[in-house]
Amino acid sequence: MEMLNSIQFFNAFPLAELEVGKHFYWHIGNLKLHGQVFLTSWFVIGLLLLASVLATRNIQRIPSGFQNLMEYALEFIRDLAKNQIGEKEYRPWVPFIGTLFLFIFVSNWSGALLPWRIIELPEGELAAPTSDINTTVALALLTSLAYFYAGFSKRGLGYFSKYVEPTPVLLPIAILEDFTKPLSLSFRLFGNILADELVVAVLVLLVPLFVPIPVMMLGLFTSAIQAIVFSTLAAAYIHEALEGHGGEEHEEH
Amino acid sequence: MTIMGTLLLLAAEAGELAEGAEGGGFGLNFNPLETNLVNLAIVIGVLVYFGRGFLGKTLNDRRDKIEAAIRDAEKRKQDAAAALAEQQQKLAQAQAEAARIRSEAEASAKRAADAVLAASEQEIERMRASAAQDLATQQEKIINELRQRVVTLAMQRAEDELRTSLSHDTQARLVDRSIAMLGGQS
Repeated sequence: MEMLNSIQFFNAFPLAELEVGKHFYWHIGNLKLHGQVFLTSWFVIGLLLLASVLATRNIQRIPSGFQNLMEYALEFIRDLAKNQIGEKEYRPWVPFIGTLFLFIFVSNWSGALLPWRIIELPEGELAAPTSDINTTVALALLTSLAYFYAGFSKRGLGYFSKYVEPTPVLLPIAILEDFTKPLSLSFRLFGNILADELVVAVLVLLVPLFVPIPVMMLGLFTSAIQAIVFSTLAAAYIHEALEGHGGEEHEEH
Repeated sequence: MTIMGTLLLLAAEAGELAEGAEGGGFGLNFNPLETNLVNLAIVIGVLVYFGRGFLGKTLNDRRDKIEAAIRDAEKRKQDAAAALAEQQQKLAQAQAEAARIRSEAEASAKRAADAVLAASEQEIERMRASAAQDLATQQEKIINELRQRVVTLAMQRAEDELRTSLSHDTQARLVDRSIAMLGGQS
Protein backbone atom coordinates (compact mmCIF):
# COMPACT_ATOMS: atom_id res chain seq x y z
CA MET A 1 0.00 0.00 0.00
CA GLU A 2 2.71 2.34 1.00
CA MET A 3 4.66 1.24 -2.03
CA LEU A 4 1.80 2.12 -4.32
CA ASN A 5 1.40 5.41 -2.60
CA SER A 6 4.97 6.33 -3.16
CA ILE A 7 4.75 5.37 -6.81
CA GLN A 8 1.76 7.61 -7.24
CA PHE A 9 3.64 10.28 -5.43
CA PHE A 10 6.50 9.69 -7.81
CA ASN A 11 4.30 10.34 -10.79
CA ALA A 12 2.74 13.44 -9.36
CA PHE A 13 6.11 14.89 -8.66
CA PRO A 14 7.58 16.93 -11.49
CA LEU A 15 10.84 15.17 -12.23
CA ALA A 16 13.68 16.72 -14.12
CA GLU A 17 12.42 17.68 -17.50
CA LEU A 18 14.39 17.51 -20.67
CA GLU A 19 14.72 20.69 -22.58
CA VAL A 20 16.01 19.80 -25.99
CA GLY A 21 15.77 22.38 -28.71
CA LYS A 22 14.86 25.10 -26.30
CA HIS A 23 17.31 27.93 -26.11
CA PHE A 24 17.82 30.95 -23.98
CA TYR A 25 17.76 33.49 -26.78
CA TRP A 26 19.50 36.80 -26.75
CA HIS A 27 18.41 39.22 -29.42
CA ILE A 28 21.08 41.44 -30.89
CA GLY A 29 19.74 43.27 -33.90
CA ASN A 30 18.26 40.61 -36.13
CA LEU A 31 20.43 37.92 -34.64
CA LYS A 32 19.22 35.36 -32.18
CA LEU A 33 22.03 34.17 -30.00
CA HIS A 34 21.99 31.08 -27.84
CA GLY A 35 22.70 32.74 -24.53
CA GLN A 36 23.32 29.58 -22.55
CA VAL A 37 26.15 28.62 -24.90
CA PHE A 38 27.75 32.00 -24.46
CA LEU A 39 27.48 31.80 -20.70
CA THR A 40 29.13 28.41 -20.49
CA SER A 41 31.70 29.35 -23.14
CA TRP A 42 32.67 32.41 -21.16
CA PHE A 43 32.88 30.29 -18.07
CA VAL A 44 35.20 27.81 -19.83
CA ILE A 45 37.31 30.59 -21.33
CA GLY A 46 37.55 32.27 -17.94
CA LEU A 47 38.57 28.97 -16.38
CA LEU A 48 41.31 28.46 -18.95
CA LEU A 49 42.54 32.04 -18.62
CA LEU A 50 42.59 31.73 -14.87
CA ALA A 51 44.47 28.45 -15.13
CA SER A 52 47.10 29.89 -17.46
CA VAL A 53 47.53 32.98 -15.30
CA LEU A 54 47.84 30.90 -12.15
CA ALA A 55 50.29 28.52 -13.79
CA THR A 56 52.55 31.26 -15.11
CA ARG A 57 52.32 33.75 -12.26
CA ASN A 58 55.20 32.38 -10.29
CA ILE A 59 57.33 30.33 -12.62
CA GLN A 60 59.84 28.09 -10.95
CA ARG A 61 62.79 26.43 -12.54
CA ILE A 62 61.72 23.11 -11.16
CA PRO A 63 57.97 23.04 -11.76
CA SER A 64 55.72 22.08 -8.92
CA GLY A 65 52.03 21.98 -8.25
CA PHE A 66 49.85 23.72 -10.76
CA GLN A 67 52.68 24.85 -12.99
CA ASN A 68 53.74 21.23 -13.28
CA LEU A 69 50.23 20.17 -14.25
CA MET A 70 49.93 22.84 -16.93
CA GLU A 71 53.36 22.05 -18.27
CA TYR A 72 52.30 18.44 -18.49
CA ALA A 73 49.23 19.51 -20.47
CA LEU A 74 51.38 21.66 -22.73
CA GLU A 75 53.76 18.77 -23.29
CA PHE A 76 50.83 16.55 -24.20
CA ILE A 77 49.55 19.10 -26.72
CA ARG A 78 53.01 19.65 -28.14
CA ASP A 79 53.54 15.94 -28.62
CA LEU A 80 50.15 15.67 -30.28
CA ALA A 81 50.99 18.46 -32.71
CA LYS A 82 54.48 17.09 -33.30
CA ASN A 83 53.18 13.62 -34.04
CA GLN A 84 50.67 14.90 -36.56
CA ILE A 85 52.42 17.81 -38.24
CA GLY A 86 56.00 16.69 -37.96
CA GLU A 87 59.11 17.95 -36.25
CA LYS A 88 59.84 20.63 -38.84
CA GLU A 89 56.58 22.52 -39.05
CA TYR A 90 54.72 21.82 -35.84
CA ARG A 91 55.92 24.72 -33.70
CA PRO A 92 53.72 27.60 -35.03
CA TRP A 93 50.65 25.36 -34.84
CA VAL A 94 50.92 24.39 -31.20
CA PRO A 95 48.86 27.39 -29.97
CA PHE A 96 46.01 26.67 -32.36
CA ILE A 97 45.90 22.93 -31.71
CA GLY A 98 46.33 23.52 -28.01
CA THR A 99 43.50 26.05 -27.87
CA LEU A 100 41.21 23.66 -29.70
CA PHE A 101 42.10 20.78 -27.43
CA LEU A 102 41.89 22.69 -24.16
CA PHE A 103 38.67 24.49 -25.01
CA ILE A 104 36.92 21.35 -26.20
CA PHE A 105 38.25 19.25 -23.36
CA VAL A 106 37.30 21.71 -20.64
CA SER A 107 33.94 22.35 -22.29
CA ASN A 108 33.14 18.64 -22.46
CA TRP A 109 34.21 17.94 -18.93
CA SER A 110 32.47 20.99 -17.55
CA GLY A 111 29.31 19.70 -19.17
CA ALA A 112 29.86 16.26 -17.70
CA LEU A 113 31.09 17.23 -14.25
CA LEU A 114 29.58 20.54 -13.21
CA PRO A 115 26.03 20.68 -11.89
CA TRP A 116 24.91 23.26 -14.41
CA ARG A 117 21.28 22.56 -13.69
CA ILE A 118 21.54 24.26 -10.33
CA ILE A 119 21.31 27.49 -12.25
CA GLU A 120 17.95 27.87 -13.90
CA LEU A 121 17.54 29.93 -16.99
CA PRO A 122 14.31 31.48 -18.23
CA GLU A 123 14.41 29.01 -21.06
CA GLY A 124 16.72 26.19 -22.02
CA GLU A 125 19.45 24.94 -19.74
CA LEU A 126 23.15 25.33 -19.30
CA ALA A 127 25.26 22.55 -20.78
CA ALA A 128 28.64 22.02 -22.37
CA PRO A 129 29.23 24.63 -25.10
CA THR A 130 30.27 21.82 -27.42
CA SER A 131 26.81 20.27 -27.24
CA ASP A 132 25.57 23.16 -29.35
CA ILE A 133 26.12 22.79 -33.09
CA ASN A 134 27.07 26.47 -33.46
CA THR A 135 30.14 26.09 -31.28
CA THR A 136 31.40 22.99 -33.05
CA VAL A 137 30.76 24.47 -36.49
CA ALA A 138 32.70 27.56 -35.48
CA LEU A 139 35.60 25.41 -34.32
CA ALA A 140 35.48 23.29 -37.45
CA LEU A 141 35.41 26.35 -39.73
CA LEU A 142 38.36 27.78 -37.87
CA THR A 143 40.16 24.54 -38.55
CA SER A 144 39.30 24.84 -42.24
CA LEU A 145 40.64 28.39 -42.31
CA ALA A 146 43.74 27.22 -40.49
CA TYR A 147 44.58 24.49 -42.95
CA PHE A 148 43.87 26.69 -45.96
CA TYR A 149 46.13 29.32 -44.45
CA ALA A 150 48.77 26.68 -43.79
CA GLY A 151 48.61 25.44 -47.37
CA PHE A 152 48.70 28.88 -48.99
CA SER A 153 51.39 30.29 -46.75
CA LYS A 154 53.60 27.26 -47.31
CA ARG A 155 53.10 26.58 -50.99
CA GLY A 156 51.34 29.61 -52.43
CA LEU A 157 49.10 28.86 -55.37
CA GLY A 158 50.86 25.53 -55.70
CA TYR A 159 48.52 24.44 -52.95
CA PHE A 160 45.85 23.91 -55.61
CA SER A 161 47.99 21.24 -57.20
CA LYS A 162 46.98 18.90 -54.41
CA TYR A 163 43.47 18.84 -55.86
CA VAL A 164 44.71 17.15 -59.03
CA GLU A 165 47.75 15.54 -57.55
CA PRO A 166 47.21 11.77 -57.85
CA THR A 167 44.93 12.09 -60.87
CA PRO A 168 42.63 14.89 -62.04
CA VAL A 169 39.80 12.34 -61.96
CA LEU A 170 39.63 12.79 -58.22
CA LEU A 171 39.16 16.55 -58.50
CA PRO A 172 35.47 16.51 -57.45
CA ILE A 173 36.25 14.32 -54.47
CA ALA A 174 39.13 16.56 -53.49
CA ILE A 175 36.86 19.58 -53.62
CA LEU A 176 34.19 17.73 -51.73
CA GLU A 177 36.71 16.92 -49.06
CA ASP A 178 37.02 20.58 -48.15
CA PHE A 179 33.33 20.57 -47.32
CA THR A 180 33.17 17.22 -45.61
CA LYS A 181 36.09 17.94 -43.33
CA PRO A 182 34.45 20.73 -41.30
CA LEU A 183 31.12 18.95 -41.56
CA SER A 184 32.41 15.72 -40.10
CA LEU A 185 34.49 17.51 -37.49
CA SER A 186 31.61 19.58 -36.20
CA PHE A 187 28.97 16.85 -36.36
CA ARG A 188 31.18 14.29 -34.69
CA LEU A 189 31.88 16.49 -31.72
CA PHE A 190 28.41 17.95 -31.45
CA GLY A 191 26.74 14.57 -31.83
CA ASN A 192 28.91 12.83 -29.30
CA ILE A 193 28.57 15.45 -26.61
CA LEU A 194 24.87 16.08 -27.11
CA ALA A 195 24.11 12.37 -27.23
CA ASP A 196 26.11 11.79 -24.11
CA GLU A 197 24.30 14.56 -22.25
CA LEU A 198 20.95 13.35 -23.51
CA VAL A 199 21.60 9.80 -22.44
CA VAL A 200 22.58 10.96 -18.99
CA ALA A 201 19.57 13.29 -18.81
CA VAL A 202 17.15 10.57 -19.90
CA LEU A 203 18.61 8.10 -17.43
CA VAL A 204 18.40 10.66 -14.68
CA LEU A 205 14.80 11.23 -15.66
CA LEU A 206 14.04 7.52 -15.41
CA VAL A 207 16.23 6.50 -12.48
CA PRO A 208 17.55 9.50 -10.63
CA LEU A 209 20.13 7.79 -8.46
CA PHE A 210 23.25 5.68 -9.15
CA VAL A 211 22.16 4.09 -12.43
CA PRO A 212 23.44 6.95 -14.61
CA ILE A 213 26.89 6.81 -13.02
CA PRO A 214 28.43 4.27 -15.44
CA VAL A 215 27.06 6.23 -18.36
CA MET A 216 28.47 9.41 -16.87
CA MET A 217 31.86 7.75 -16.53
CA LEU A 218 31.65 6.60 -20.12
CA GLY A 219 30.66 10.17 -20.99
CA LEU A 220 33.80 11.51 -19.36
CA PHE A 221 35.84 9.03 -21.35
CA THR A 222 34.21 9.84 -24.69
CA SER A 223 34.41 13.56 -23.95
CA ALA A 224 38.16 13.35 -23.50
CA ILE A 225 38.47 11.14 -26.57
CA GLN A 226 36.44 13.60 -28.66
CA ALA A 227 38.68 16.47 -27.62
CA ILE A 228 41.75 14.46 -28.63
CA VAL A 229 40.10 13.36 -31.88
CA PHE A 230 39.14 16.89 -32.85
CA SER A 231 42.56 18.37 -32.23
CA THR A 232 44.36 15.41 -33.77
CA LEU A 233 42.26 15.64 -36.91
CA ALA A 234 42.80 19.40 -37.10
CA ALA A 235 46.53 18.83 -36.85
CA ALA A 236 46.35 16.07 -39.45
CA TYR A 237 44.48 18.34 -41.89
CA ILE A 238 47.06 21.07 -41.36
CA HIS A 239 49.82 18.58 -41.98
CA GLU A 240 48.14 17.41 -45.17
CA ALA A 241 47.83 21.00 -46.38
CA LEU A 242 51.46 21.65 -45.58
CA GLU A 243 52.82 18.55 -47.23
CA GLY A 244 50.34 17.80 -49.98
CA HIS A 245 50.31 14.42 -51.64
CA GLY A 246 53.69 15.11 -53.16
CA GLY A 247 57.02 13.43 -52.84
CA GLU A 248 58.10 15.33 -49.74
CA GLU A 249 55.99 13.16 -47.57
CA HIS A 250 57.40 9.98 -48.97
CA GLU A 251 60.94 11.15 -48.48
CA GLU A 252 60.32 11.69 -44.82
CA HIS A 253 58.85 8.33 -44.03
CA MET B 1 11.64 2.91 2.55
CA THR B 2 10.90 5.64 5.01
CA ILE B 3 14.21 7.28 4.28
CA MET B 4 13.39 7.17 0.60
CA GLY B 5 10.02 8.65 1.38
CA THR B 6 11.43 11.57 3.30
CA LEU B 7 13.99 12.14 0.65
CA LEU B 8 11.26 12.26 -1.97
CA LEU B 9 9.22 14.54 0.22
CA LEU B 10 12.16 16.87 0.57
CA ALA B 11 12.70 16.70 -3.13
CA ALA B 12 9.09 17.49 -3.77
CA GLU B 13 9.24 20.51 -1.54
CA ALA B 14 12.34 21.71 -3.23
CA GLY B 15 10.67 21.07 -6.56
CA GLU B 16 7.76 23.18 -5.59
CA LEU B 17 10.10 25.90 -4.55
CA ALA B 18 11.84 25.63 -7.87
CA GLU B 19 8.55 25.69 -9.65
CA GLY B 20 7.80 28.89 -7.88
CA ALA B 21 11.02 30.30 -9.20
CA GLU B 22 10.28 29.09 -12.70
CA GLY B 23 8.22 30.93 -15.18
CA GLY B 24 10.77 33.63 -15.69
CA GLY B 25 14.22 34.84 -14.91
CA PHE B 26 17.10 33.10 -13.36
CA GLY B 27 16.97 30.99 -10.29
CA LEU B 28 18.74 28.36 -8.31
CA ASN B 29 17.56 24.80 -8.06
CA PHE B 30 19.14 22.64 -5.41
CA ASN B 31 16.87 19.65 -5.88
CA PRO B 32 19.36 16.77 -5.73
CA LEU B 33 17.26 14.57 -8.00
CA GLU B 34 16.43 17.08 -10.67
CA THR B 35 19.90 18.48 -10.88
CA ASN B 36 21.64 15.11 -10.74
CA LEU B 37 23.72 16.36 -7.82
CA VAL B 38 24.18 12.99 -6.12
CA ASN B 39 25.48 11.26 -9.21
CA LEU B 40 27.74 14.17 -10.05
CA ALA B 41 29.13 14.17 -6.54
CA ILE B 42 29.85 10.45 -6.79
CA VAL B 43 31.43 10.77 -10.23
CA ILE B 44 33.58 13.69 -9.14
CA GLY B 45 34.53 11.81 -5.99
CA VAL B 46 35.60 8.73 -7.96
CA LEU B 47 37.45 10.92 -10.45
CA VAL B 48 39.27 12.80 -7.72
CA TYR B 49 40.04 9.60 -5.82
CA PHE B 50 41.57 7.78 -8.76
CA GLY B 51 42.73 10.83 -10.66
CA ARG B 52 44.64 12.25 -7.74
CA GLY B 53 46.68 9.10 -7.33
CA PHE B 54 47.44 8.69 -11.01
CA LEU B 55 47.97 12.34 -11.79
CA GLY B 56 49.94 12.92 -8.63
CA LYS B 57 52.25 10.06 -9.47
CA THR B 58 52.66 11.21 -13.05
CA LEU B 59 53.36 14.78 -12.03
CA ASN B 60 55.78 13.69 -9.33
CA ASP B 61 57.60 11.51 -11.82
CA ARG B 62 57.75 14.41 -14.24
CA ARG B 63 59.02 16.74 -11.56
CA ASP B 64 61.66 14.25 -10.45
CA LYS B 65 62.74 13.72 -14.02
CA ILE B 66 63.06 17.46 -14.61
CA GLU B 67 64.89 17.89 -11.37
CA ALA B 68 67.29 15.09 -12.26
CA ALA B 69 67.78 16.53 -15.74
CA ILE B 70 68.52 19.97 -14.37
CA ARG B 71 70.89 18.57 -11.78
CA ASP B 72 72.61 16.49 -14.42
CA ALA B 73 72.89 19.46 -16.74
CA GLU B 74 74.26 21.64 -13.98
CA LYS B 75 76.80 18.99 -13.03
CA ARG B 76 77.86 18.67 -16.63
CA LYS B 77 78.14 22.44 -16.85
CA GLN B 78 80.35 22.49 -13.79
CA ASP B 79 82.46 19.67 -15.16
CA ALA B 80 82.78 21.49 -18.43
CA ALA B 81 83.74 24.71 -16.68
CA ALA B 82 86.35 22.86 -14.64
CA ALA B 83 87.69 21.16 -17.73
CA LEU B 84 87.77 24.49 -19.51
CA ALA B 85 89.70 26.09 -16.67
CA GLU B 86 92.11 23.20 -16.62
CA GLN B 87 92.64 23.31 -20.33
CA GLN B 88 93.06 27.07 -20.22
CA GLN B 89 95.69 26.63 -17.57
CA LYS B 90 97.38 24.06 -19.74
CA LEU B 91 97.16 26.41 -22.66
CA ALA B 92 98.77 29.19 -20.66
CA GLN B 93 101.48 26.77 -19.59
CA ALA B 94 102.04 25.66 -23.11
CA GLN B 95 102.19 29.25 -24.29
CA ALA B 96 104.74 30.09 -21.61
CA GLU B 97 106.72 27.03 -22.65
CA ALA B 98 106.48 28.08 -26.27
CA ALA B 99 107.68 31.57 -25.43
CA ARG B 100 110.55 30.13 -23.43
CA ILE B 101 111.55 27.77 -26.21
CA ARG B 102 111.35 30.53 -28.73
CA SER B 103 113.52 32.92 -26.71
CA GLU B 104 115.97 30.11 -26.12
CA ALA B 105 116.05 29.30 -29.77
CA GLU B 106 116.53 32.94 -30.65
CA ALA B 107 119.40 33.22 -28.23
CA SER B 108 121.08 30.11 -29.53
CA ALA B 109 120.52 31.25 -33.10
CA LYS B 110 122.13 34.55 -32.26
CA ARG B 111 125.02 32.75 -30.65
CA ALA B 112 125.48 30.51 -33.63
CA ALA B 113 125.34 33.46 -36.00
CA ASP B 114 127.92 35.31 -33.96
CA ALA B 115 130.20 32.29 -33.90
CA VAL B 116 129.86 31.81 -37.62
CA LEU B 117 130.53 35.48 -38.24
CA ALA B 118 133.59 35.48 -36.02
CA ALA B 119 134.94 32.33 -37.61
CA SER B 120 134.50 33.67 -41.08
CA GLU B 121 136.12 36.95 -40.13
CA GLN B 122 139.07 35.04 -38.76
CA GLU B 123 139.26 33.01 -41.88
CA ILE B 124 139.19 36.10 -44.02
CA GLU B 125 141.93 37.59 -41.90
CA ARG B 126 143.96 34.48 -42.21
CA MET B 127 143.49 34.25 -45.93
CA ARG B 128 144.40 37.87 -46.36
CA ALA B 129 147.53 37.35 -44.31
CA SER B 130 148.56 34.31 -46.24
CA ALA B 131 147.91 36.11 -49.50
CA ALA B 132 150.05 39.03 -48.41
CA GLN B 133 152.79 36.67 -47.39
CA ASP B 134 152.60 34.87 -50.67
CA LEU B 135 152.84 38.12 -52.53
CA ALA B 136 155.89 39.15 -50.55
CA THR B 137 157.77 35.88 -51.11
CA GLN B 138 156.87 35.92 -54.76
CA GLN B 139 158.10 39.47 -55.08
CA GLU B 140 161.31 38.64 -53.31
CA LYS B 141 161.77 35.62 -55.46
CA ILE B 142 161.23 37.58 -58.61
CA ILE B 143 163.55 40.33 -57.42
CA ASN B 144 166.15 37.74 -56.62
CA GLU B 145 165.73 36.22 -59.99
CA LEU B 146 165.97 39.55 -61.66
CA ARG B 147 169.01 40.37 -59.65
CA GLN B 148 170.59 37.06 -60.60
CA ARG B 149 169.82 37.62 -64.19
CA VAL B 150 171.17 41.13 -64.15
CA VAL B 151 174.33 39.85 -62.52
CA THR B 152 174.63 37.07 -65.05
CA LEU B 153 174.06 39.44 -67.93
CA ALA B 154 176.53 41.92 -66.52
CA MET B 155 179.11 39.20 -66.01
CA GLN B 156 178.55 37.96 -69.50
CA ARG B 157 178.85 41.43 -70.95
CA ALA B 158 181.90 42.03 -68.87
CA GLU B 159 183.40 38.79 -70.01
CA ASP B 160 182.61 39.63 -73.60
CA GLU B 161 184.07 43.10 -73.13
CA LEU B 162 187.06 41.58 -71.52
CA ARG B 163 187.45 39.04 -74.26
CA THR B 164 187.17 41.59 -77.04
CA SER B 165 188.93 44.60 -75.68
CA LEU B 166 191.34 43.19 -73.24
CA SER B 167 194.60 43.16 -75.12
CA HIS B 168 197.85 42.27 -73.75
CA ASP B 169 198.80 45.86 -73.03
CA THR B 170 195.78 46.71 -71.25
CA GLN B 171 196.18 43.62 -69.20
CA ALA B 172 199.51 44.56 -68.14
CA ARG B 173 198.48 48.06 -67.45
CA LEU B 174 195.67 46.85 -65.30
CA VAL B 175 197.91 44.57 -63.41
CA ASP B 176 200.27 47.40 -62.86
CA ARG B 177 197.66 49.67 -61.72
CA SER B 178 196.32 47.06 -59.36
CA ILE B 179 199.78 46.52 -58.02
CA ALA B 180 200.16 50.24 -57.70
CA MET B 181 196.93 50.47 -55.87
CA LEU B 182 198.00 47.74 -53.57
CA GLY B 183 201.30 49.41 -53.04
CA GLY B 184 199.85 52.82 -52.62
CA GLN B 185 197.60 51.62 -49.99
CA SER B 186 199.94 49.79 -47.90
